[in-house]
Amino acid sequence: MNIGFIVLLALLAGLIVIAVYKELDFGPILKRLFEQFIKLFPRMISALAAAGFIAELIPKEAISGYLGADAGLLALPVAAVTGLMVPAGPVIAFAIAAIFAKSGASTAALVTFITSWSVFAAHRIMIYELPLLGGSFLRLRVSSVLVIPFLAGGLAFLVGLVFSFGGAVPMN
Amino acid sequence: MRPFDFLRDRDWRNAVLKDGFGVGFWVFVGVAVLAGLACYVLKGPEAFHHALVRDIELVFGLVPRVFVAVSIAAVIWFLLPRERLSGLVGKESGIRGLVVATLAGAVTPGGPASAYSLLTVLATSGADRGAAVAYITAWATLGLQRVLVWDVPFMGAEFAILRIMITIPLPIVAGLIARRLPLTLVVKDENEKQEEVDTNLHK
Repeated sequence: MNIGFIVLLALLAGLIVIAVYKELDFGPILKRLFEQFIKLFPRMISALAAAGFIAELIPKEAISGYLGADAGLLALPVAAVTGLMVPAGPVIAFAIAAIFAKSGASTAALVTFITSWSVFAAHRIMIYELPLLGGSFLRLRVSSVLVIPFLAGGLAFLVGLVFSFGGAVPMN
Repeated sequence: MRPFDFLRDRDWRNAVLKDGFGVGFWVFVGVAVLAGLACYVLKGPEAFHHALVRDIELVFGLVPRVFVAVSIAAVIWFLLPRERLSGLVGKESGIRGLVVATLAGAVTPGGPASAYSLLTVLATSGADRGAAVAYITAWATLGLQRVLVWDVPFMGAEFAILRIMITIPLPIVAGLIARRLPLTLVVKDENEKQEEVDTNLHK
């Protein structure tokens, strides 16, 4: 039990109270719940298994050599592509980011990596986006956010030219 | 009518199971087997075992959360005043709609199960394409819960603050791009078949 799950449970309880108060029919609600859950669940298990193995295969040490401050803006595309390739949740993504930070990755590269992972996270696309919203939404969204990791990294680079604020202090 | 009557409907059961165990599921099973084999061969049995145990723990941790998140979205689906929502984040909502969507994304609690379930509700209730993209981009990059639980402990507070300050305008940029892209958007929704959401915009 973590805080996030408790927040979700409280939210659900509140919504159920409102639904009862408004005398909603629970039949259709339960039907929609079952439909959506069964749509997500089998994909979730198989995609998570795939994601865990792929994350294990990413050559983290080799990549971190290209992310240092001396790589300058060239580090951004490397970081963006690496972020794209991490098909796993925040535990693994931030653990990888911490490895990069410890081996001297620049702040701009780290911002690019985290932003790229957060907008593209392949496991999320496969588990949630495609089954719930479909391919045309995925196409629209990916085309719209393509520049976002580079904008974030570029802004971090510019900030870094002026201020020395924002350096990462990775966990142990 | 009793609430669980739909479970007795054989056609419904078959359709739902076909949906859940469709082509997508088997593709992922295939990818998982291949990636698992590659992991075993390239990284050795220990890495394979490590990844497998972590996967299993993740699945057990995720099942209750996904169930609760999908329940929330199912209740909201029937509670939400659709007309008011399309005024707030619909096609005519301009920049304000994108700002509202960005704020909503940043404060949505929980993981992808809740965010994507809510996005489905939004996208099929009159939110325009820009707002939908801004919402999910904001949740992914700015989610407050994410920042507090992951960014701050893993990377330090200073880095987290810098990243957030830089990222705040970006979901709005993504939404503006989404509004201008000449792509047809058809959001699928099983309750109302295939609903044409946004085709008039670029005629």
